[in-house]
Amino acid sequence: MSAVLRTAPAIALKVLVRATDPARRELLRRLVVDAGHLPVDSPSAADAVLSDRLPAEGFASMPEPSPLFTPREVEVLAAIGAGLTSKMIARRLAISPHTVKFHVESLLRKLGARTRAEAVAKAREQTLRNTVEF
Amino acid sequence: MTELLERLSSDLAARAAALQGTVAAIRLPRERHVSAIVWPGDALVASEQSLPEREQFDLVLPGGAEGQARLAGRDPGTNIAVLRLSQPLAPAALAPGEARAGALALALGADGTGAASVRLGLVNHAGPQWHSLAGGLIERRIALDLRLVRAEEGGPVFSAAGAFLGMSTFGARSRVLVIPAATLERVVPLLLKDGRVARGWLGVALHPVAVPDALRGEAGQPSGMMVMSLAAGGPAAKAGIVAGDIVLSVNDAAASGFRRIAGQFGPERIGRKAALRLIRGGTVLSVDAVIEARPAA
Repeated sequence: MSAVLRTAPAIALKVLVRATDPARRELLRRLVVDAGHLPVDSPSAADAVLSDRLPAEGFASMPEPSPLFTPREVEVLAAIGAGLTSKMIARRLAISPHTVKFHVESLLRKLGARTRAEAVAKAREQTLRNTVEF
Repeated sequence: MTELLERLSSDLAARAAALQGTVAAIRLPRERHVSAIVWPGDALVASEQSLPEREQFDLVLPGGAEGQARLAGRDPGTNIAVLRLSQPLAPAALAPGEARAGALALALGADGTGAASVRLGLVNHAGPQWHSLAGGLIERRIALDLRLVRAEEGGPVFSAAGAFLGMSTFGARSRVLVIPAATLERVVPLLLKDGRVARGWLGVALHPVAVPDALRGEAGQPSGMMVMSLAAGGPAAKAGIVAGDIVLSVNDAAASGFRRIAGQFGPERIGRKAALRLIRGGTVLSVDAVIEARPAA
C-alpha cells in the first residue's frame, strides 16, 4: 500500500483526503484515480486506498487563514494557471504588462515561490484548503 | 507509595471493567473494525469519518455476541454517525460529565472480540465551542493527551469518576479529540429521527481575499470572502450573487474569517434572510438572500 501511495502525486492525494463532501470526493476520485495517478485496477481497490488514507486528515476545525491575495492577484493567478503569458494577461485584464509583472512579483513573494509554475501549484493547494462552502 | 500505585492501578482496572458494556465493534472489510458507543434506545454512536458509506453493518457486541445494525443517519458536520441495532441491547448507563484540563481521562475502544481496550491520559485541553470544517457546531473543544489506534476511534471517553465525557475521534495530525457528550445528546436524536442534521446554506464556496486598497475606506474592513463558485439554483444564485463578488458581511457578521460567519448558518436560520454586503465591480452594494437547508450530500 505505501508503495502505491508513494507513487501518487502528493498534492492530488492531499486534496483528495481533505475533501469531506461526497460529491467533491467522487469528482476528485475520478480525477486522481481514473486519470491513472493511482495505479489501481478496480474502483474497489481505489476505494480501499482512499479509505485507508482518509482518516489521516482527521476531523478538522474551520481554517482561519490570514488573507492572502488581492482580488487582482487572484485573477492573475488564475490566468497564469491557464497558461497565459504576461502580455496575454495584460490584455485580458486591461492593465499594462508592467502592472502584471508587479502582481506576479507580489504573488511569488507571498507564496514563497521561485517560479510561476511553483506559485500556481502552491496557490492551488492553499486555495482548496482555504475554501469553505456555506 | 506502593500501596497508592496498586490502588490506582486496581481502581482503573475495576473502572474499565465496569464500563466495558458501553463499547461495541463495527466490523470493516479485511478483518478490521472501528469502535462505537452503545446508546440508549437500541442505537450505536460512532465516528462518522471512520465509517464506510454503507447501510448495513456487522457488529461484535459487548460480551462477544455477533450483531447487525442499519445506518440511521450521519452528520459530517459534527462527525457523528448513528446506527440502529437489529436486536435489543440493554445499554450501560452513561452519566454525562464535564471535561477539565489536567484531569485523567479513560478512552475505551472495542478490541473486536467483545471486550474493551483501554487508554489512560490527561484531558489536554478543554476549550469553548468550535465549528468544524464541514460547518458543524461542537459544544466544546476537548483534546486528550493520549494516542489511539484506528480501531479504537469512536469509543467512549470517561473521567476518573466514570462520568461520560464524549466520543473519541481523530483530529488533524491524528490528535485525539472528544466530541462532547452535550453534542452527542443534541445530535443523536436528530439523526435517529431525520437521518441528518439540517444546516443553513447559501450555496457559495468562499475564499478569503484582501479588499483592494481603493475600497478599504468604503468597505470598512481590510479583508472579505471572494465567491469562488455557486451551487446552481442555490439561494445565492437565486439572489443574483455571481462568482467574483467579494462578501464583506453576512447579517452584520464581518466576513473576515470563516468562524465568524459560520454562526450565521445554524439550523435556526433556515428560511430567514441573509443580508449580504458585497463588493462587485468596484462598488459596495447590499443583496438579500434567503437561507435554505443544505441539501443532502
